[in-house]
Amino acid sequence: MKDNRLISVQDLKVYFRSNATTARAVDGVTFEVDREETVCLVGESGCGKTVTALSILGLVPVPPGDIAGGRILFKGQGLLDLDDNNMQSIRGNHIAMVFQEPLTSLNPVFTIGDQISEAISIHKNIDTGTQRERCVQLLRDVGIAAPEQRLNDYPHQLSGGQRQRVMIAMALACDPELIIADEPTTALDVTVQDQILRLFKYIQKTRAMSILYITHDLGVVTHIADRVYVMYSGVIAEQGFTSQIFNHAKHPYTRGLLASLPSRSKRGKRLYSIPGSVPDPAHKPEGCPFHPRCPHAIPSCWSEYPQMCDYGEGHLARCPVLFEKTKKTIDDK
Amino acid sequence: MLSFIGRSVVQKIITLFFVSVVSFLIIHIAPGEPSQVDPMNPKFTPEVVERFREEFHLDKPLHVQYIYFYQNLFTGKTVSWKDNQSVLQKIWERFLNSLPLFIVGTVLTWTLSFPVGIRSAIYRGRLYDRSATFLSYLLISIPGFFFAYVLIIFVVTHFHVPVIGMETFGTGNTSTVFVVMDRTWHLLLPSVLGATGGIAVLSRYVRSQMLEVGGQDYIRTARAKGLPQEQVHYKHALRNALLPFITMFGLILPGLIGGSVIIESIFSWPGMGRMAYEAILARDYPVILTVNFVSAVLVLAGTFISDILYIIADPRIRL
Repeated sequence: MKDNRLISVQDLKVYFRSNATTARAVDGVTFEVDREETVCLVGESGCGKTVTALSILGLVPVPPGDIAGGRILFKGQGLLDLDDNNMQSIRGNHIAMVFQEPLTSLNPVFTIGDQISEAISIHKNIDTGTQRERCVQLLRDVGIAAPEQRLNDYPHQLSGGQRQRVMIAMALACDPELIIADEPTTALDVTVQDQILRLFKYIQKTRAMSILYITHDLGVVTHIADRVYVMYSGVIAEQGFTSQIFNHAKHPYTRGLLASLPSRSKRGKRLYSIPGSVPDPAHKPEGCPFHPRCPHAIPSCWSEYPQMCDYGEGHLARCPVLFEKTKKTIDDK
Repeated sequence: MLSFIGRSVVQKIITLFFVSVVSFLIIHIAPGEPSQVDPMNPKFTPEVVERFREEFHLDKPLHVQYIYFYQNLFTGKTVSWKDNQSVLQKIWERFLNSLPLFIVGTVLTWTLSFPVGIRSAIYRGRLYDRSATFLSYLLISIPGFFFAYVLIIFVVTHFHVPVIGMETFGTGNTSTVFVVMDRTWHLLLPSVLGATGGIAVLSRYVRSQMLEVGGQDYIRTARAKGLPQEQVHYKHALRNALLPFITMFGLILPGLIGGSVIIESIFSWPGMGRMAYEAILARDYPVILTVNFVSAVLVLAGTFISDILYIIADPRIRL
């Protein structure tokens, strides 16, 4: 089982320091991704998902960013301790990233062929002819028509969906073991979103790679994820297999998120929304970060930081209150 | 592409026509006639003034004068009212004098600003950036004429070389090496001085442009690919950061004329800027208007060149 682990993030803390305040964007996040597994990191905007993803690749700007603690082990190797050169040989080669905004994430002054073959040539020592063939193959794999001609196109000549496919092709260029997809469908319209999701599933199956998929959209999660981590205010609130999260959510935040999903049974009714908003990472509430918005909050939530409660079979939730209510203590097991 | 060039040339000719009309009107409507430059001079009797006005068509209506002037300009017959020399000949001579100053100054400015600005952006907030910032604001704040005198005093007292004018008077019979060295010394100070202000300003622009581009998503993508820092900066960032400078690059050309009036005056450099300045004082209309026309042509040529460069450099611009 241990050998199957691809990446494990342990108690990662990323702070952004300015003169007056420290924004604790990521405040002790722990999660794992196994080989050939698709893991979703879910949460509202501003909960620290993207910062978590960027710190895996060492792309958090320092300063103002500061990796305040924790470890990131990729195949047993500590990524946070690597120097620039070694980190560069990991980026794009072993871990690749697909970003949220395909419109601005491609360099406007280079052709897409240049940009993809660049990703290959940094890590692989192959001649330009082979690079070109590989680019064409990659573009074909991600479903771009007439790839030979598209190679010489500039990003502005492609549609949003095509650009995201190009980004994915670029990420696949060196056959990475892990692809981090940071809200890759958020900027696209719904029909294209669906195509890109299918593409990710297809890639994951055919290339046997792992995907860390970051999203705020629970609808996406059901389609793609094997396991889910729900993130709230810089910490993991709940984790488990997709069915556990969707059918037996144990954290009030996850329940709130699920309740706010539109569905057929709720047709005609007003959609539920969690009251309040994500706390400012510079001024987090004491105790449980979710307590100001929580319907189950009891006085101890205001002062005590909640621990992870184990429901067994990989299902954990950071809410002792609901854990007590289900009358399953760790001692009982 | 060809149709763009054709269209652009036609547009620029129309602009040039309006420029010629407006500049002609401004010069002629402005108070003070050439005949009144020196009213106390006993040689300027009313009869002489009258003859002068007649000879240069100053008694004719403005539109006739306009036609006379531009007819002469395009047939190359325009002469200066001051010394009766051909204006084009005069401008050409002065242009050749200004050219070395302009070339050395421009090359210095553009070759030094970019490394300084780029390094400042990369080492933002560090010692290098702070000292470069301090130095550029110092150079921007110090008036050019004051700085020029400080430099002249320094160079003359420490190196014992003359720096005023284009060459030391009476070096005609000395060896070639000496003449070349003498010319170089004379050229060095005014062009370095002209460049310092330019470097100070341009390197600031380069820095802010690099910082702006450095925050773009595609720079993050380039880093996420595993590109080394140098390639991220010098390939992905620089290529985009350069685009706005194409406009500025096109506008170097008109600097040939107006860019160096002060420096040419301080160093007694017989260049274009000084000639234009002296012509204005003497109300030598043909020289003023010709210089004006030539600089208008240079501005339009500069914008034309930058338009073409944009098409080459930025794939998003298509015709």
